[in-house]
Amino acid sequence: MAERGWDSMLLYGNAWRKDPFRSLVNFNFSGDHALARLSRSGEVAVTFSDPWDSEIASASVQPEFVRAFIAGASAVAGLEFMEERFVAACGALPASATADVEELRRVKTADEIGYIQRACELADRGYQRFAEAAEPGMREFELVAEVEGFLKENGAEDNFMLIASGGTEVVGMKPPTDRVLRKGDSITTELTPQVNGYYAQICRTLVLGDPSPGQLQSFAIFSEAQQAAEDLIKPGITAAAAARAQNDVFRKYGYGDYTGSKYTRVRGHCLGLYPDETPHILEDVDYVLKEDMVVIAHPNTYLPLSGYMVFGDTMLITETGNTRLNRTEKKLFTK
Amino acid sequence: MKRGLITWDKTELPPSVFDARLAKVRDALAKQDLPALLVYSDVWRSNEGRHLTNYMPYWNRSLIVLPREGAPVLLCGLSPRVYPWIKSVTVFEEIRPASKLVPTLLQLCAERGWTKLGVLDLARLPHEISLPLQASDVKTSDVKLELTDDAEIAMLRRAEQMAREILTAELPKGVGLTDYQFSGLLERAFRRAGAEDLLLLFNTGNSAPRPARGAMLGDKYSVAVALEYRGHWARVMQGLPL
Repeated sequence: MAERGWDSMLLYGNAWRKDPFRSLVNFNFSGDHALARLSRSGEVAVTFSDPWDSEIASASVQPEFVRAFIAGASAVAGLEFMEERFVAACGALPASATADVEELRRVKTADEIGYIQRACELADRGYQRFAEAAEPGMREFELVAEVEGFLKENGAEDNFMLIASGGTEVVGMKPPTDRVLRKGDSITTELTPQVNGYYAQICRTLVLGDPSPGQLQSFAIFSEAQQAAEDLIKPGITAAAAARAQNDVFRKYGYGDYTGSKYTRVRGHCLGLYPDETPHILEDVDYVLKEDMVVIAHPNTYLPLSGYMVFGDTMLITETGNTRLNRTEKKLFTK
Repeated sequence: MKRGLITWDKTELPPSVFDARLAKVRDALAKQDLPALLVYSDVWRSNEGRHLTNYMPYWNRSLIVLPREGAPVLLCGLSPRVYPWIKSVTVFEEIRPASKLVPTLLQLCAERGWTKLGVLDLARLPHEISLPLQASDVKTSDVKLELTDDAEIAMLRRAEQMAREILTAELPKGVGLTDYQFSGLLERAFRRAGAEDLLLLFNTGNSAPRPARGAMLGDKYSVAVALEYRGHWARVMQGLPL
């Protein structure tokens, strides 16, 4: 704040993007909006739009939520998500502190790494439950209900989860439908449980029945691509290099066309208080990875061999390399 | 986050319901002499867009454009790979990829010759959307709509009935469990019944209801359930003993 000349900074969160707020005050508010105000001398004050949150956090209740609280703020982390009516209440337009705060968030503390390790353990157990529960005749949303219940009963605050099932017609994941699972289906999922504010992710593919030669061939490519990233990622490596290492494996086997935005989104991303933190692992992102960042490398994409397939693990970047935080076996799951 | 069953059951909400809602929008636009209405939508703020088009971004955010003349257009931050699914559960026939929402919106305005736009609840636009829009040549006007209709009320009743019935049946099962364990039990029950989203808060004493934190529930507790069913939220709170 001193470097930027900011006297007071706000950290804003709403029900979707709680992360800027929680990066300073790790309180899981359940209402619509929360604000923390940090002075340059280090004083912190908080306010919430929901009186239940205020009561639990012993925060002062602002009758108009923000007007008196935010007037005169120099900068706001989360300004981009803030509703215009709140921005107007600041008076002069504040600076955005979002990028600065996100950069501070990328390198995790020991406590934060501990929370992410717990989230990884939960992701592993959640995937085990996913694989146990999936069976022909079940509907996608029933499988998700089971996994969601499992994660919540074991302490997840939240979970980001997508799913898809079927064959080569499947081009991506989405929320669950009422499609009935069938023998021969490839079932893809990414589980992203949240523990004490922090998300970890696992991506795996499960085949109901014996995998086809196409599914096996496809998984071999995904496995090699993910391993290429895992072998490469360490401090000093760029996100672009981590993406290229994965994409080059697809290119080697003649599937380079399937590494672009028509068939896939990203080759990984960072994790923390938001399940899709930047930098994204993409060939045009030159961000240099640092020790104690937490990333997932997942070469998830569509291939004509198998349809959409996913495979990836959460990794902690260490002084000399990385440590895989998920313990789930790296294989194409079958049952 | 939305991870329940998102669908469009046309026996519950026939296309004629959305036709009537869009006609109401066109009337409002005609009164203010505006060529189109902009509705912002994200994972959390999806209710207005859902009411008008049945669209809900399960992830990311979108802009919904409702022209006074012509079909609705979705400017979508999600991958084109999910557009067939979006079309299957919404009124949209035209979806445009929009990794940058406002430039895509301004392109649409230029194509259609629009120099002004109505915005539903203008003051509630996120700053990142509002700033470049206000800086553009397109003039914006605030539009207020009364979104409640008979179909909406019927769906809200259905959501409330689902919340109440399941909570009544499940509530006694929390005795002797932690709030985490009871959360898991309730998640399974509600999501199997078709809940799209769920917020559970627990109260074991004199404080306000709060998210689960591993506390024992004992034999006196209350649970507040906010449930989203097919885009319609109901909130129910019950305590034990009943």
